Amino acid sequence: MKRITEGLKRASVWTWQHKLRTVVLLVVLVLAAPKPVRSQFLDPCCAIMAAGLNTIGSTLSSVIGGGLNGILSIEQDISQFEQTVVWPQSLINQARSLVASMQGIFTQMESVMRLPVNSATLPTTQQFEQNLLSRDTNQIAQTGTQYVAVYGTVPDTTAASPQERNLVDMTDAAAQAAMKRAIEIDALADLELQAADQINQNIATAAPGSAPIIEAQADAWLVRANAYTQAATADLMRVRAIDLADASANVKTGASNSSAIQQQIYNILKR
Amino acid sequence: MAVLTTFLFAFLFILFSYGMVVAKSPRRILALILASVLFVVLVSPPPAQAQASLVTAIQSVLTVINGKIQTALTAINKVRNTIDSFYEQSIWPVALINQTRSFVIQMINQYRGEMQGMFNIRLNSATLPTPSALETVMRNHQTNDLGALTTSFGNAFGGVPTNAAASPADRTMMDMDDALAMDNLKTLKESDAADDLALQAADNIEDQAGEAAPGSAPFITATAVAASIESQALTQKMLAAELRQEAARLAHQNALQKRGATITSDVNNQILNLLQRH
Repeated sequence: MKRITEGLKRASVWTWQHKLRTVVLLVVLVLAAPKPVRSQFLDPCCAIMAAGLNTIGSTLSSVIGGGLNGILSIEQDISQFEQTVVWPQSLINQARSLVASMQGIFTQMESVMRLPVNSATLPTTQQFEQNLLSRDTNQIAQTGTQYVAVYGTVPDTTAASPQERNLVDMTDAAAQAAMKRAIEIDALADLELQAADQINQNIATAAPGSAPIIEAQADAWLVRANAYTQAATADLMRVRAIDLADASANVKTGASNSSAIQQQIYNILKR
Repeated sequence: MAVLTTFLFAFLFILFSYGMVVAKSPRRILALILASVLFVVLVSPPPAQAQASLVTAIQSVLTVINGKIQTALTAINKVRNTIDSFYEQSIWPVALINQTRSFVIQMINQYRGEMQGMFNIRLNSATLPTPSALETVMRNHQTNDLGALTTSFGNAFGGVPTNAAASPADRTMMDMDDALAMDNLKTLKESDAADDLALQAADNIEDQAGEAAPGSAPFITATAVAASIESQALTQKMLAAELRQEAARLAHQNALQKRGATITSDVNNQILNLLQRH
């Protein structure tokens, strides 16, 4: 106790002697001492922040939440419309079933058209018929030889006039070309049937968005097929044109021959 | 955190007090004060925001929400509404879709039966038994009786003569003519059967069109185009058969011409020989 009293006396003496230093220490203590944390309930700053956050929350809820709800409602409406009216899954599946059943019909059509129709009975004609019905363009090279075996060659120079030989050769050429074109068209038609099968099989596994792409390709094939049909029709017309020209040439030759015979008879009678 | 701050403050304050007590001159005191002030300035945290700036910040957030965000959401909502209306009223109006389905069904009812009736009218016209048999087998749309067609054809048009009855050239040409004629008649039986299948395919496609939705129609269109390709290929096969037939007819005439030329040449020679003898 005595010590404490002495210590206090000494401190008060030091304080009295160093007034400036004591004031500085007190000022520093007051200014720099850590202050207690502000209470959430008593501090007006926190109250303002709480009120602000509440306002922000209710505004988010009404403005953004309301707006998003509106958008969601429309999106749901569109989604339902698309699923029930535009792209109903059941009708899409039904259309896919149709495609599958069409494949069955295609297969039947193709197998019907592949039944053999050969009918010749003699060896030469059987060979020629086999060539004509082969649907194989590699066999076109043999068509000429087999044609000659059945229909004969152009008469030699001693047997027919040059004019007659030209006529016969041109007619043979038109007939042979038409037969070769028939082999070609058969082969092309087989490829088209094969392509149609592939296209149809692809449609069966397509989506509503990809089906129009396949349809575009199928349209292109249809244009191509039309072109081949036109080529076949053109050859048919050529054969008929040559037939007509041949008939006309026969009439001309007949007239010329009649005139020559008349002249010869007249000459004989004159003697 | 608060305890640590208190301890740190106590430690620094004691250090500062000690410095003040032991300082022997006013200069040192001044130097200590300046050093301490400098230290406090350097390590003290930045001042807290005022209440006024907090209110401004909250207000600005609310302004953004009520201004730009609300405007944007309203605009999006409006656009989606417009798209919805456009889909339902202009692109895929349910009423028109149903009307189109009804139209397809009405077309089916209007034409299909009548056209089938027309197409199935019997065209057979032969009166005698043999031609009647051939005509029946030619027109029956069956492909399992191609052999019967050969027999009926032979009965109606005769077979190739024997070696003794005709020259080899004639026999060959007759056989070729008959073969191509029969080939075509058989091909026509096949194409008749294929036609029936094509008509069945067309009916199936049309039936499906009557129930289709805008999203399922592309499948039906695409398969219809594939069927058109098939049909076109079959038309080509028929054209090829016709080409063979026409070409054979031309070749036949030409063969006769060749033979005629040879015979005429022979006859000319014989007449000349006869005239020379006299």
